[in-house]
Amino acid sequence: MSEKAYEVAHIDELDRFPVDDEGLLWRPVRRRLGITAFGTNAYTAEKGDERVVEEHHEQDGAEELYFVASGRATFTLGDEEIDAPAGTFIYAEPGTKRGAIASEPKTTVVAFGARPGVPHEISAWEEIFVAFGHLRNGNEEEGRKAMAAAIAAKPDAWQGQFNAACFEALTKNRDAAIEHLRRAIELDPRAAEYAQKDTDFDWLRDDPEFPV
Amino acid sequence: MSGTARLSDLATQIGQGPRWAMVRTHFGISAFGVNAYVADEAGGTLISEHDEVGKQAGRHEELYFVGSGHATFTVDGDEIDAPAGTFVFVRDPGVKRKAVAREDGTAVVIAGGRPGEAFTPSPWERNAPALYHFGTREYDKAIEILEGLREETPDDGGVLYNLACAESLSGKREQAIKHLRHAIEVDHTFRELAEKDSDFDPIRDDPGFASAIAGKPDASGAGA
Repeated sequence: MSEKAYEVAHIDELDRFPVDDEGLLWRPVRRRLGITAFGTNAYTAEKGDERVVEEHHEQDGAEELYFVASGRATFTLGDEEIDAPAGTFIYAEPGTKRGAIASEPKTTVVAFGARPGVPHEISAWEEIFVAFGHLRNGNEEEGRKAMAAAIAAKPDAWQGQFNAACFEALTKNRDAAIEHLRRAIELDPRAAEYAQKDTDFDWLRDDPEFPV
Repeated sequence: MSGTARLSDLATQIGQGPRWAMVRTHFGISAFGVNAYVADEAGGTLISEHDEVGKQAGRHEELYFVGSGHATFTVDGDEIDAPAGTFVFVRDPGVKRKAVAREDGTAVVIAGGRPGEAFTPSPWERNAPALYHFGTREYDKAIEILEGLREETPDDGGVLYNLACAESLSGKREQAIKHLRHAIEVDHTFRELAEKDSDFDPIRDDPGFASAIAGKPDASGAGA
């Protein structure tokens, strides 16, 4: 990333990474523009009735603000259901469960987030999302590069090795999948519990060297 | 508290210029800065020219997102065509930036923060709760809030300037001149602003106003 005084990008120029099977497209904004003081991303659902914000709450204490940039969505915020046409802000405290389903085609939501009282840290999950996004878009090698970058950024985190194992299992690379999973379990035995439940590994379970 | 609001409902007319949606203060967000501005008519100012290094600025990196309509940004002297859906990220706090609406109803959402540091609001944003009352013409309420801020930080030029505006608009001529004089003493950039600011129309013909703008000491001896 060159350190220009400013950067410009139109939302249509952002990457489009599928993150699930429900139509949710992740459009990295922070990563594209090189923002470091806070997190920001856009999410698009091309058709109506598709997910446009994953249902979750923020486990790391981040405050999040969503802005419906185009289309219309139905947000869930705690126990409430909110009709949110373009131009609506939705603010979610860290512990509040939130998610959204698009109610019109081409709905895009821009999200902003950070943790109060501490300098912003770039989420480690970004490169992992990029890796699986490339894979879903049919760019396996680009995905593998992104996964390697995610591991390099946090070499002692079991999640990077575990996700790399999933990636290699999905692309039917037996040796690499087993090696990454073994390394993940060495870093944290919880990786074995997750691997038992993860269908990505189903075709490997009978392999004598499968480490679970 | 978690909640929701429409930009069109939040955006309030405060003085001249675009309508301002005080998004961060409305929701009580403390982790990053966020505001929005709406220009109802093409040709209207969306973002006044500023940098992020002045006394009232937060030295933030700023992300502008054109939420609706069409804007023209000028950043570091470069003109940028920005239809709805455009992100303009100004990394360098020292760079001048401004934006004008090219269509009626153009809206820009702005998020900001300082890299490597926990978020603190920009000094100018302390005025937000008081400025809201400018929009509703409840100047006495604005004065009450600004007086509270002035007691906390007697030499905050932004607070003094806004206090002078509210006092001018509510007929408190002497107080307005006194606080404007003090604002210009601590930050001379308020001189140029005051010359063009219609909030001072009620006191513009007062010799005290001319002397405050000229940076002369208070002839009455009351001091600032």
